[in-house]
Amino acid sequence: MVVDHETPRLENGQTDKEVEENANVLQFMDSMDAYLTLIHSLSSTLRRGWLELASARHSMGASRVNTVLLDHTSHPAATSLLVTQDEGKVDSGKPHFTLCKWASSSNENSLLGEKQSSQDKLHPQLRHRGSTELYEEKTSSENKASREVDDPVQKERSKSLSMFGTLVSPKLRAAQLSFEAALETLVEIANMRSEMLCAFDQVNMKLEGRKDEK
Amino acid sequence: MYGFEAMTFNIHGGYLEAIVRGHRAGLLTAADYNNLCQCETLDDIKMHLSATEYGPYLQNEPSPLHTTTIVEKCTLKLVDEYKHMLCQATEPLSTFLEYITYGHMIDNVVLIVTGTLHERDVQELLEKCHPLGMFDSIATLAVAQNMRELYRLVLVDTPLAPYFSECITSEDLDDMNIEIMRNTLYKAYLEDFYKFCQKLGGATAEIMSDLLAFEADRRAVNITINSIGTELTRDDRRKLYSNFGLLYPYGHEELAVCEDIDQVRAVMEKYPPYQSIFSKLSYGESQMLDKAFYEEEVKRLCLAFEQQFHYGVFFAYMRLREQEIRNLMWISECVAQNQKSRVHDSVVFIF
Repeated sequence: MVVDHETPRLENGQTDKEVEENANVLQFMDSMDAYLTLIHSLSSTLRRGWLELASARHSMGASRVNTVLLDHTSHPAATSLLVTQDEGKVDSGKPHFTLCKWASSSNENSLLGEKQSSQDKLHPQLRHRGSTELYEEKTSSENKASREVDDPVQKERSKSLSMFGTLVSPKLRAAQLSFEAALETLVEIANMRSEMLCAFDQVNMKLEGRKDEK
Repeated sequence: MYGFEAMTFNIHGGYLEAIVRGHRAGLLTAADYNNLCQCETLDDIKMHLSATEYGPYLQNEPSPLHTTTIVEKCTLKLVDEYKHMLCQATEPLSTFLEYITYGHMIDNVVLIVTGTLHERDVQELLEKCHPLGMFDSIATLAVAQNMRELYRLVLVDTPLAPYFSECITSEDLDDMNIEIMRNTLYKAYLEDFYKFCQKLGGATAEIMSDLLAFEADRRAVNITINSIGTELTRDDRRKLYSNFGLLYPYGHEELAVCEDIDQVRAVMEKYPPYQSIFSKLSYGESQMLDKAFYEEEVKRLCLAFEQQFHYGVFFAYMRLREQEIRNLMWISECVAQNQKSRVHDSVVFIF
């Protein structure tokens, strides 16, 4: 075994390379933890949404909340998904998913990746080791933006729900919010999965590099 | 002053009153609901219902069952009982029984018109219509482009024709117009039913006035709550309230300007019968309002059976069965979604 006396070592005896490897492993584990938390959150949000839909059907009657009322006319999608590649980063080539909510043809100001303040109440507390501050800053700035566009968003929501009638029960509106939150969680899951796979690739590369050195 | 129905009611109505009281005895009890609430699967529900009057309607349904199948088959039982009573009834009971189904007729008309607007197939729309609200030319509704055509082509020959006078326009049908049409028709129907019962007089008028007034008031509250945050103006909202009931006219004036559930609560708490309903809810909450109203309705419907020689028992029985079907629907959904902890959120016990 070759002992490298020239490589500077840190106080705990680790080299920079070892620190970097540990950071990659930690990042992978963090992203996996967040991924599993999001999966669990999605499951509970969908359960709540389905029960709220059943509750709305119970309240309004089966003839008003029905699959035959779904709109088959051609109309622009209320929400779309934007897929971009992360550029200028070490792990470039990683896809990034952004939800464009309530962006119909009549509303040119598409609302990119906003989180409503009400959505925060629906999400459980996500643990993000090492990126907590970043996450909090991102959430609070998105909350500010979300309050400013509440009315157009509310109009788009009502428009989307109008297939069941214009005077619908608050339970149906609650179900809509739950499924909206579920959609946002799905996009977060896609992004988190992308991060997780990227971190896994990094760890894998380091491991293979180590094997080659030996 | 009434009291002489005892001498003449049984001549024409005695047999059917006995029939409907017999049907009432077949309603599910609290013990039945406790068994149903403990079911793990929809097949368990089917097994428990096989021991009730719903048994023959569900026995041939193959697994896996769906919640909509259970509701459809239970509704078929109600329809069979209703048709038996209708074909045995003489005037004015036969007209009274027909009045009970006009609400379903309105729902079916709106379903067909809305589904056609959304380019859905007429056949699949017809399959989803309530059987109590079917009439011969219902499929022709898909042809109409506006309310005038709707009336001229189809509805002029139906019992709903008199209710259209207030909402005939040449405006094309869209979601808002359809909603206003639905509520305007229902308002006209309730008022007409109320006047019919008043004309019948006696115990029927007294009991049905109370039940229909409660229905009108509940509708007013639901319209108010559902229209909060929508484009419906205060004037339009006021026009949808019925012109009778405990809340008419001063309660309606106050409800028309309400902007949130707490303001609705403040209005309703001035009326003692509704104070008890809203006292069950916490501030800002409206989720349990439906259940509270259903519980109050069931109490009033059960009281209708305490008196004899009136037509209110037929109305009460039909509504109690519909409540029972709603209960079964909710229990089935909770079992199917594995959310049994929430089953008591919306089940209203009748006995």
